[in-house]
Amino acid sequence: MPARLNSAVRYVVACLACATVASSLSVGAATPGDLQGVVRVAGRTAKEVVVWLDAPAAPPSPGRVTATLDQRNMQFVPRVLAVRVGTQVKMPNSDRLLHNVFSFHDGKVFDLGLYPVGTSRVVRFDKAGLSRIYCNIHPTMGAYVVSVDSPYFAVSDTQGRFAIPLVPDGTYTYHVWRSGAEPTSGTLIAAAGRAVEIELP
Amino acid sequence: MTGRIAFVALLACACARPSSGQTGAIEVVQSAGVSNELIAGAGVQLRGLFQPTERFRVYLEAAWGDRSGTGSDVFGTAYPYGGRVDAVENYGELTVQTKGLRFLKAGRYRTPFGLANASDHAYVGFLRPPLIRYGGYFALSSGYLEEGADFVAGAPHLSAEFSLGRSADVGTARRRPGALNKVGRIEGSLGPIIVGASVLRTMPDQPAYFAFGRATFRGVDARWMQAGVQIRGEWIDAVPFEGTTTKGGYLDAIVHTRVMGPVTALARAEKLDYDTPVAAYRLFTHRYVAATRIRIWKGLSTSLGVSHQGGRLTQHRPTTFDAGVSWALRKDFASGQ
Repeated sequence: MPARLNSAVRYVVACLACATVASSLSVGAATPGDLQGVVRVAGRTAKEVVVWLDAPAAPPSPGRVTATLDQRNMQFVPRVLAVRVGTQVKMPNSDRLLHNVFSFHDGKVFDLGLYPVGTSRVVRFDKAGLSRIYCNIHPTMGAYVVSVDSPYFAVSDTQGRFAIPLVPDGTYTYHVWRSGAEPTSGTLIAAAGRAVEIELP
Repeated sequence: MTGRIAFVALLACACARPSSGQTGAIEVVQSAGVSNELIAGAGVQLRGLFQPTERFRVYLEAAWGDRSGTGSDVFGTAYPYGGRVDAVENYGELTVQTKGLRFLKAGRYRTPFGLANASDHAYVGFLRPPLIRYGGYFALSSGYLEEGADFVAGAPHLSAEFSLGRSADVGTARRRPGALNKVGRIEGSLGPIIVGASVLRTMPDQPAYFAFGRATFRGVDARWMQAGVQIRGEWIDAVPFEGTTTKGGYLDAIVHTRVMGPVTALARAEKLDYDTPVAAYRLFTHRYVAATRIRIWKGLSTSLGVSHQGGRLTQHRPTTFDAGVSWALRKDFASGQ
């Protein structure tokens, strides 16, 4: 075996050994993974439920975070949007008519006026809370933006399932919001491979 | 027929590229109202919005409306009140990504002239159409529909639109069949201001023994909105048929600020000047409207309006009080996601 090839093989073997040792050392430490779960209301799976975890020591988001609340077919898409505090939400007008997007209730207060088809406006949600978004021209248009002070949040899908990415193992206080109900809280344990079930009355 | 063929062709092109997710919605809007002109009315609009692919949409709309009396433009905003079911807008629209051309629409759609959208005219709270948008006043009816093809080219802040089609109007003002209708429009925006200019060349909606030649409408429109206050208006200069002119416009102020909660306040000033060689038929009038729309709960809202008009109109009273209630329901659905 030539000397150069021999040293290369030894280098690879050494790297694999180091990786094995590092892997064995990490057993039992907090490894971020997706926290998956299901939300049920009165025993039935519930969509558009926002779930978030308290994480006061979580680092701030790296760089500028954006999300999109579209206006399409005379409706906001998605109808429920969860964002972390500080997120800039783009609100494009993807319809062929004008909308007047506003939020006058609690949460972020703004009125974007009218803007042309194909253009967008941006709103920064700079504090935690619920914002109710409407169009003053089309009464059936409505959406909720839930701004949370945590990097760990998700919105349940049509089967009530949710997945919060990169949650370190541990015990957390969770919060749940859904349209038409008071927010509720509880405690859950996040662990690799373990799904959680949140039951609401 | 032209529009239907174009619609099917567009649908076939769009469906050739399947999408991973299809979305759609059904919307029903019910409204009822009463006026001190001793006229009551009720109407229902049923809409279907479907998006089989990312770049293709289908819009279907039918309406039924009826009222207890005639001779007034109350409840004549954007939908017919003839006591029968009418197909209103039914079209497919393709969003084209190539440079320049942005949208291609085929089927039956509102004449793209000025502030043409139904949500502009049927803005809940305005229970009467602008004088210049009511077919009964030798003006451009908000019930005008084109059956043909329409395309929009340009950028979001400056675009041009052109439509070629046949008349497929609803309501009492129905244009005579004849040559193809041509509509051209330019729209631009700068900050909170959106302005447009439109031209329509079409057939008159009066009978041939009365109205000769063709009708031509030219108009400019503008909107400005900031901090919950919207100012908008249109001015139209028209030749409704040979030897006559119709000039007029309206200016709206629509106010909805945070302190007003669910209340939107509306004010309109407008005028209409129809000139004809026969002095007895000339019509010069103006109207002032104050109204409010109150959102009661979700899609349920009520509207109250008072209007005062001078000059000679078909209205029974110079000062009218109108009230209406409207209830909108919507069901969204998605599949394949």
